[in-house]
Amino acid sequence: MASLLKNALKAIREKGIVNALRTLREEGYTKCLLDGNILQTKIHNIGGTLVGVDKFGNKYYQRYEGIPHGRHRWVEYGDKGRYNASQIPAEWHGWLHHITDHTGDELLMLKPKRYGIDHKQNYSGEGEELIYHSKGHALNPGQRDWTRYQSWQPTKK
Amino acid sequence: MGLGLLALRASRSLALNRLPRAFAYQNPSNNAIIRGIVSTPELQNPEAAAAVQQPEPAPELPPRKPVAGARVHFTNPDDAIEVFVDGYPVKVPKGMTVLQACEIAGVDIPRFCYHSRLSVAGNCRMCLVEVEKSPKPVASCAMPALPGMKIKTDTPIAKKAREGVMEFLLMNHPLDCPICDQGGECDLQDQSMAFGSDRGRFTEMKRSVVDKNLGPLVKTVMTRCIQCTRCVRFATEVAGVQDLGILGRGSGEEIGTYVEKLMTSELSGNVIDICPVGALTSKPFAFKARNWELKGTESIDVTDAVGSNIRIDSRGPEVLRITPRLNEDINEEWISDKTRFFYDGLKRQRLNDPMIRGPDGRFKAVTWRDALAVVAEVLHQVKAEEIVGVAGKLSDAESMMALKDLLNKMGSNNIWCEGNGSDPQADLRSGFLLNSSIAGLEKADVFLLVGTQPRVEAAMVNARIRKTVRATQAKVGYIGPPTDINYDHQHLGTGTQTLLEIAEGRHPFCSALLHAKNPAIIVGAGLFEHKDKDAMFSAVETIAKLGKVVRPDWNGLNVLLLNAAQSAALDLGLVPESGNSVESAKFLYLMGADDVDLDKVASDAFVVYQGHHGDRSVYRANVILPASAFSEKEGTYENTEGCSQETLPAVPIVGDARDDWKIIRALSEVAGIRLPYDTLGAVRTRIRTVAPNLLHLDEREPSAISSVAVKPQFSQKVSIAPFGAAVENFYMTDSITRASKIMAQCTAQLLK
Ligand code: SF4
Ligand code: FES
Repeated sequence: MASLLKNALKAIREKGIVNALRTLREEGYTKCLLDGNILQTKIHNIGGTLVGVDKFGNKYYQRYEGIPHGRHRWVEYGDKGRYNASQIPAEWHGWLHHITDHTGDELLMLKPKRYGIDHKQNYSGEGEELIYHSKGHALNPGQRDWTRYQSWQPTKK
Repeated sequence: MGLGLLALRASRSLALNRLPRAFAYQNPSNNAIIRGIVSTPELQNPEAAAAVQQPEPAPELPPRKPVAGARVHFTNPDDAIEVFVDGYPVKVPKGMTVLQACEIAGVDIPRFCYHSRLSVAGNCRMCLVEVEKSPKPVASCAMPALPGMKIKTDTPIAKKAREGVMEFLLMNHPLDCPICDQGGECDLQDQSMAFGSDRGRFTEMKRSVVDKNLGPLVKTVMTRCIQCTRCVRFATEVAGVQDLGILGRGSGEEIGTYVEKLMTSELSGNVIDICPVGALTSKPFAFKARNWELKGTESIDVTDAVGSNIRIDSRGPEVLRITPRLNEDINEEWISDKTRFFYDGLKRQRLNDPMIRGPDGRFKAVTWRDALAVVAEVLHQVKAEEIVGVAGKLSDAESMMALKDLLNKMGSNNIWCEGNGSDPQADLRSGFLLNSSIAGLEKADVFLLVGTQPRVEAAMVNARIRKTVRATQAKVGYIGPPTDINYDHQHLGTGTQTLLEIAEGRHPFCSALLHAKNPAIIVGAGLFEHKDKDAMFSAVETIAKLGKVVRPDWNGLNVLLLNAAQSAALDLGLVPESGNSVESAKFLYLMGADDVDLDKVASDAFVVYQGHHGDRSVYRANVILPASAFSEKEGTYENTEGCSQETLPAVPIVGDARDDWKIIRALSEVAGIRLPYDTLGAVRTRIRTVAPNLLHLDEREPSAISSVAVKPQFSQKVSIAPFGAAVENFYMTDSITRASKIMAQCTAQLLK
């Protein structure tokens, strides 16, 4: 707690009060007041080492001492409003779940250049247009045409 | 670990003399010394192995079944000889080859060049077997079986011989099975799995051969060719074209057309089936599907009156390929190019919604309910005599029955089938059937073709005639417009004049007819529409009487029909009441009829078109009712020799279309004159009361009485107009083939 305050004071000194407050808001401290999950993560973060940040702004922490088994690695979501587990990209998923000890940044090197596509989170409940539909799905706007015959067009004559 | 364990086990269990082998396992660098092409060590020394072979066990094993139900037919029981295949005694007729004897004994000999319907070439050497007392393995396909011959097909020598041949064949064969259309149904693949070695020793470069352009139907990848010459023999012997041949010798040997040209035969597609490898494959089917993805449906071809047996290969809703089925009585194992390649027409120009022509002359898609209501209303407004129905070329018997019943209930009997003319002779079946049957044509020794060009009208019948002419030097006389006939023939004349000369015995061809044992007269159905039809038919009958063509043991007076629906229509009695009913019609029901002369139809007539393709008649229609094509329905068709067969649905019906008979049944209900059948079975029960022979599937029902005795004498009053050609374009004869792109290509490139 003390270091947290010290850091905050240091930030105010360096950036001025307005900027410091903005940073606080961006980092989600203001949300803490309403959202217990974020507050809890923030408290959990104390003493954790930041292992990496992915391009969605998710921060990955780890700490091995004094933490019950299974909670050594955790994430602070970049999106402080609507966060969920599907926002974790594939490369970090393995690290986070102790599948591998390679961090996401290391695994990203293995991503195939030609056909690797970007991670996309699950937008269920956010509107049809955001949701992924397979190529034959009835709601896919660019739906593949499965008609295998050509019908006669009565335009001529 | 594996090697060590193996070596350990080997050294423990093997006797001392086998030790060096175990040694070789331990020491891979030594492998080369004793490496053989076969994995079974005994086979590396076949002579020695054969020497220590035990004597053959007595045949106490259960007898084996002949391969693919092969049957022996002994014309003369004295000619039977006995040979031993792997110790089993079999009786075969004299003159059979060793390979055929093995087949009867139930042993399948691998082969590439041998084909039971072609001459023997004996150049692939895959069929080597061991014959006792012969110093070398013999090519069984070319070796006649001799009495007492002891044939061995599973000895190490035979095995090694096959492995050797296989290795040579694979030397120059590309390894492109994954991208080859033949992959999965390739004789070379199968036989190298079954009889080949597990490795080859060839390390040099493979040769490659330039691909040939054989036209829009056959794709060539000539590097894959194994020079079995089946295609060359097929072209010269069955198809009757001298297009294909061998060029060069040794490693420069190539199959090709001597000069760059397309293969112009109506049977060219069959080389795809007989080529044992992927050298000749189907161009339209190239890279469309792998053959194990396809669902096969056994069906009947409807593009001509022969009713060739086909298998429709489909994947999902698409017909992807059509291949022949074996039927010795009809198409043997060939089909014509039209049958094989017209299937893409099934996917184009389809009618998929009921439509009504609005007052502005435009078609609007409507529901079935609305469309049927409109038709039923008009049906009740017109007089009974003004109702006319025409069944199309591709109609099945069930729908023709339903249509006839519907019109009869309305009080009209003006219904006929396209191609039968306005005054067909339907009372006696012998008057419109191919009485000697297609297979029976092989017994004929003189043919008289009257106004028919079998090559374009019924390619499979033509193949039979050609087979007969080749085998027995039968004489062929032809009356009709100049045409291309691919066997020896005499062009006697172009029209009725010649026919009369023969009938009066003034023509030199008469003597041939008189001296013939089994003369066959084939009259084209194109003459049905000729205006001097009656005179001509009685002239033909006079000739028949003259030449004793119709006897109790031989009926050689034949009619060759043009369309799949024709004979069933005549059996069902689809005969119009008057000749000019189209002109007077106020309500015209066209059931897939696209060759009706629409200019004759009165402008205020109400035309209903029920069919599957937007071809010709739709443009005159007031209401369009979409129906199913032959690949989508179960229907009975009778072919030109009177054999009824059935199509089966291979793919789902497109769009909102329905089966033909169901549409008519629904219409009858809306019109308030309900037809008494609700299922296909019930329609067939109705057919049974009219023409029971249509229900005897796959059986030829010969006609009982011959028409010769009943017909009146011919009158002399005939015009001298020459006969016309019944089929203008072999590749495009009906609505499906006219919609096909492949057929359009063929027309453009092959009929130049
Ligand atoms: S193309 Fe096919 S059928 Fe013709 S010789 Fe070559 S392998 Fe035989
Ligand atoms: S099948 Fe006998 S040599 Fe080819």
